[in-house]
Amino acid sequence: MLRFNRVFRDGGGFDSVLVLLALAYLVAFSAFPLIYNLVISFQSVDLFTIATFDRPFVGLENYRDIVNDPLFWPVVRNTILFVGLSVVFQLGIGLALALFFRLDFPGSTWLRGLFLAGWIMPGLVVGAIWGWLLAGDFGVVNWLIQSLGLTQQKIFWLSDPSISIYSVIIANIWLGVPFNMILLSVGLAAIPADVYEAAELDGATRLQRFFTITLPMMRAQLGAVISLGIIFTLQQFDLFAALTQGGPSNASNVLQYWSWELAFREYRIGHGSVVSVFMIIVVIFVATAYVRSTRHEHVV
Amino acid sequence: MLSSTPWKRWLLLAIAVLLVAIYLFPLYWMYVTALKTNTETFANPPTLWPHHAELKVARVWNDMGMGSFIQNSLVIACGTVAIVVLFGTGCAYGLARVRSVWMDVALFLVLMLQVLPPSLLITPIFVAFSQLGLLSWPRTGTILATAANKLPLYIVLVRAAFTQVPRELEEAALVDGNSRIGAFLSISVPLARNGILVSAILIFLQALGEYVYSRSLITDRAYQPATVGLQFFVGPNASDWTGIMTFAAIYVTPILIIFVLLQRRIVSGLTSGALK
Repeated sequence: MLRFNRVFRDGGGFDSVLVLLALAYLVAFSAFPLIYNLVISFQSVDLFTIATFDRPFVGLENYRDIVNDPLFWPVVRNTILFVGLSVVFQLGIGLALALFFRLDFPGSTWLRGLFLAGWIMPGLVVGAIWGWLLAGDFGVVNWLIQSLGLTQQKIFWLSDPSISIYSVIIANIWLGVPFNMILLSVGLAAIPADVYEAAELDGATRLQRFFTITLPMMRAQLGAVISLGIIFTLQQFDLFAALTQGGPSNASNVLQYWSWELAFREYRIGHGSVVSVFMIIVVIFVATAYVRSTRHEHVV
Repeated sequence: MLSSTPWKRWLLLAIAVLLVAIYLFPLYWMYVTALKTNTETFANPPTLWPHHAELKVARVWNDMGMGSFIQNSLVIACGTVAIVVLFGTGCAYGLARVRSVWMDVALFLVLMLQVLPPSLLITPIFVAFSQLGLLSWPRTGTILATAANKLPLYIVLVRAAFTQVPRELEEAALVDGNSRIGAFLSISVPLARNGILVSAILIFLQALGEYVYSRSLITDRAYQPATVGLQFFVGPNASDWTGIMTFAAIYVTPILIIFVLLQRRIVSGLTSGALK
């Protein structure tokens, strides 16, 4: 007891105890569910066995059911579409805005910060607002594109099965642009100005400077931002809940929403866990890339 | 940084204002719709400015039962922040102070747990909570799960704040006879208080917008937060858009005000923490 007291009171034990307390909490409520999810994915779980501890193990049956589910491949395709388009446009628009707000004009930092108002909003509220903007009959987006003469008919963004996924993508791009822009701005600010001046003296054009200086020097930053973009897009759930609820008839369903629906709407808890396992493997893979890219940055 | 002539700078400013205006149009549309009458909301062509503005705060507040929703949101957000600050501050301090292989492993674990999507963890959490009987206290369960989700971000942000505190000040306190915990509480925490405060507020704002856990763990309407309440009214068949937008406006205006006031600090905290 005395020795413990000395180590904790005056020595390095103090730091360890503080770190371990938080880690214990995280293990209990984040890491344990992760493992438990894997266990459930091999079990047959329904409403009657949910609260008991001995549930029958069914081997790979849940996995077979999910892969053979007629919804599986359409939902995978939607997820890839959702992540791919969201990340490409978030990054593209974010980079363009970051480059623009680096220019020298009054109030640039303050105006740039206003974009983050979109990022701090609860996802569900953003979904509700976009649901109203994109509403079929009275939505302002339909009015705008009709008065610009882009289409004759109204577009039913949320109830047309071939379009509904894109309305969620649009809302998600809106939500993700600020974060991309701010992180990329930090990277741009870290590039020393004299590199540009030297290139300018050598007669490099703006475009050449962008491709030979900006992009190569931003490589680590871009890697981190892309990985974070993928991770946040895979976490996106609220927009689906507010906009389409995966519908109509699952046309805009993605893995993370499908997993929840299986478990909480249809009470096929084992099946929901299987979808989670697939997703978590992808997330961990991307997260490793992210953590490595931030490590890399320390060295540079 | 790139120098330009005066008139060009004003032109750039004009473009920048235009970009911000385009980006923030959805927010503007929420407020404008909230102020319109029901007939004006569905007018074609839509009016860009409410002609007969009316404030429906009291009606929506009562009709949609916002009092209990907002109260539950606050309870969940406060509980989450309390747990996160209690567990996270010390951990962030330890991770900032000690450099060793084990601390690197711990930091790696924290970073990995930061990225787990709540929508995928909720199924096992729901099963485990129902086995433990925690579902009888649904808000407590939601707080415990949300705190685990937000804790890593807080640790990363506050760790960056602690690395700014000079080690020498603390060592001086130790020489003067303070215990480690005494030096931690009387020297390090006060010196890092800005970082801690801003990070805690950021977690609070994020927890106010939490949806997945509340939606799945809380079945009783009386305990549900504002996000779940709002979801009840939206969806493919929503029609009372003035009501919904008023609900949304009441709910996010405090969040936006806090954010605009602290914008600069939150941005610098995020950028120093998230990428280093």
